[in-house]
Amino acid sequence: MSETVALEKTDPNVVKRRIRIQEYALVGVVILLIIAGAATKPEAFLSSSNLFTVLTQASVVGVLAIGMTFVIASGGIDLSVGSLVAVAGISGGLLAGDGNGLLFIVGALLCGMLLGAVNGAFITFGRVVPFIATLAMLTIARGLALRLSGKTPISVVLLDQVRWFGNGKILGIPVPVIVFISLIVLGWVLLSRTRYGRYVVATGGNREAARIAGIRVQRITFSVYVLSGLFAGISALLISGRLASASPVAGTLYELDAIAAVVIGGTSLQGGRATMVGTFLGVITFALIFNLLNLLNLPTEFQQIVKGVIVLVAVVAQRRER
Amino acid sequence: MSEAKAPGSVLLKVTGLTKHYPGVVALNGVDFDVRSGEVHCLLGQNGAGKSTLIKTVSGLIAPTSGEITFAGEQLGTGDTHASLVRGIATIYQELDLVTDLSVSANVWLGHEAKRGPLLQLGEMVATTKKLLNRLDHGHIDPRDRVADLSPASQQIVSIARALSREVRLLIMDEPSAVLDDQEIETLFSVVRRLTAEGVGVIYISHRLDEVERIADRVTVLKDGQTVISGVPATTPPDDLVRAMVGRAPEEITTDRAPAKDELILEVRDLMLPPHVRGVSFGLKKGEILGIAGLVGSGRSELLRVMYGLEKPDSGEVLIEGRSLRHGRPDIAMAAGLGLAPEDRKSQGLLMEWNSIKNVSISDLQRFARGPLIDTGAERKAVATSLDAIGAQPGAIDRFVRELSGGNQQKVVLARWLLKSCKVLLLDEPTRGVDVGAKTEIYNVISGLAAQGLGIVMVSSELSELLGFCDRILVLRDGQCVHEAPGSSITEEEILNLVVRSEPVAARGA
Repeated sequence: MSETVALEKTDPNVVKRRIRIQEYALVGVVILLIIAGAATKPEAFLSSSNLFTVLTQASVVGVLAIGMTFVIASGGIDLSVGSLVAVAGISGGLLAGDGNGLLFIVGALLCGMLLGAVNGAFITFGRVVPFIATLAMLTIARGLALRLSGKTPISVVLLDQVRWFGNGKILGIPVPVIVFISLIVLGWVLLSRTRYGRYVVATGGNREAARIAGIRVQRITFSVYVLSGLFAGISALLISGRLASASPVAGTLYELDAIAAVVIGGTSLQGGRATMVGTFLGVITFALIFNLLNLLNLPTEFQQIVKGVIVLVAVVAQRRER
Repeated sequence: MSEAKAPGSVLLKVTGLTKHYPGVVALNGVDFDVRSGEVHCLLGQNGAGKSTLIKTVSGLIAPTSGEITFAGEQLGTGDTHASLVRGIATIYQELDLVTDLSVSANVWLGHEAKRGPLLQLGEMVATTKKLLNRLDHGHIDPRDRVADLSPASQQIVSIARALSREVRLLIMDEPSAVLDDQEIETLFSVVRRLTAEGVGVIYISHRLDEVERIADRVTVLKDGQTVISGVPATTPPDDLVRAMVGRAPEEITTDRAPAKDELILEVRDLMLPPHVRGVSFGLKKGEILGIAGLVGSGRSELLRVMYGLEKPDSGEVLIEGRSLRHGRPDIAMAAGLGLAPEDRKSQGLLMEWNSIKNVSISDLQRFARGPLIDTGAERKAVATSLDAIGAQPGAIDRFVRELSGGNQQKVVLARWLLKSCKVLLLDEPTRGVDVGAKTEIYNVISGLAAQGLGIVMVSSELSELLGFCDRILVLRDGQCVHEAPGSSITEEEILNLVVRSEPVAARGA
């Protein structure tokens, strides 16, 4: 109780400011990375084509991270998204064959949502903890992808609509970039400006309080996994379009990149605190590091080390704020 | 039994113990002592300061002033280790056992027997067995998982754990709450065994009949002060009850229009054993119904079942004649029910959110503009609602965890005001709220009743229920043992009803 009184004298906006600080800090990191790139490789790094390359590369994991933000905000985790990308692509490819690209799209999205719903069902109705339920789905979905495809990639070269998702351009901007940015905006609106978003964060912040407030927490919990599956399906479109094939090994370990991006963005792994802007910045940070180290011809192991260090620093910074 | 024993030397002596919290004096100059080989019973209503007293003795909290000596030696305050090494062991109400570990692992937790880096499992099991034998519970296997034991046996394990260190003073906080009569008798024989060995025991209980059976001396706390200190356990129970009730309470009376003669809520034979066992009552528009009973009497569970947070085995809850579906808080809410839960922090509020979001969460549909939330309209409506309830100006933009208990409660109430619910269930609405804010909360509640809401209110503070409520329902062991108009029953009568464990009389007609 003494704490309460002391706190009442502090700034009322202190919590909001803390989230902002982390976002600003990430903006700082992004700016530093850009300066570093500009200083070391001015011509290659600062070109608009390189900017699009960064964003295009970011888009596949970025789309996953949007769905992941909702899952984590609700107090859960989804380890299966990387595998869902693969099985969604394979399902789309099998459904479409050499025929209609729209079938691929429908197949991939439905497959993602369906398996996401299986995750959600086990978590809400089977009372399996999200970590375990989605870990199981991680291996099941990967196995399904390999089995269904006979362990060989399915070519989508003939499916124009799918190729467009990878290589198309609108007004000179690559389609994956447009998809990623619009989904970020959409995700931000959904999270911060709709009833659904409030309910998701409330469920993650305090499940019992949310229940007492009349929120159907089971329904909300179920829905975030379906949403995450849907985003995995979209991600499958982007990657299959870009590589002109649906691969059963696509998306391996992407779940970890997505989680890392969400976490460094400032969304709390305990749930109840989420920021879509943070997620966007987190995704961009990782993409810039990847791009920069590539341009500098540094071996990929550096990238892995740097990524890990950033996650640690960000999480320690979050803890100190509490 | 007290006569038979020679009084031991003074083991624990507490003088002038005072503990202030902002706005609350939890202990106010408490004097108290325990001799070796005696059972000293500590009585008092909820909030009288019993828990604070034992927590200062066990070192969990540091007192504001006052002195504690143990065996003639001054005890460092606020230091659990200092208390532990001197042989002060506490068994809390909530058993603090690691239920997935074995009995022996629990007994030795924190001071395991080791040879080099390795645990001496065999030896620990053997010593545990000896301890259990000493407690006359040799049938408990030290290798059993604690989770597989009955609550009574778990209690014995807790005591064994206390004995595994050299214990000289054993503090037991309502040990009988989870036990049936026979188990209580067994517990008592264990306690007698320990006192025969010279251990001093502080025994906290709500049940007066236990005092006569086990205690040598009694101390009664009331509002943080010792009303009766260290009198023989033979003191007549009526005197003890009078001491617990204390001086004439300041009555909270509010002028309210009488309840309308229109039934708004009906509860029919609600069953969820063991907590709720066949409770029925009705509530009129504008009526305030108080529910009295001890912690564990099923008060909170009754409200939770009514609101749909728990599914009852049978029974019905009707609002305006329509039966509610069980286990669906969202439906209960839509039908006009609102709940302000006992623990605002863990159940009522989203502490990381500001007041606006906390108030509007149950009524967001109202602010829908297409798929989006009209935050301007939301803010305006919440502000009106908070103003009407008299929340601290500026509370609207604050994060609720930064608000005082009183203002947090007002945020919860503002939510249900905004939602314009018909029946409000309040579980300990003034807990953790300081004195001034309490009166305000009561004014808010009677204001809501004046608007025609039906109010069901659970409170441990009997003096507040009386005079404030139109009608009072007394619960014991999940059953309604008495029902009376608020003005026609005294605090003493209620206390007698809830603390005496006579067989529950069938409720008249």
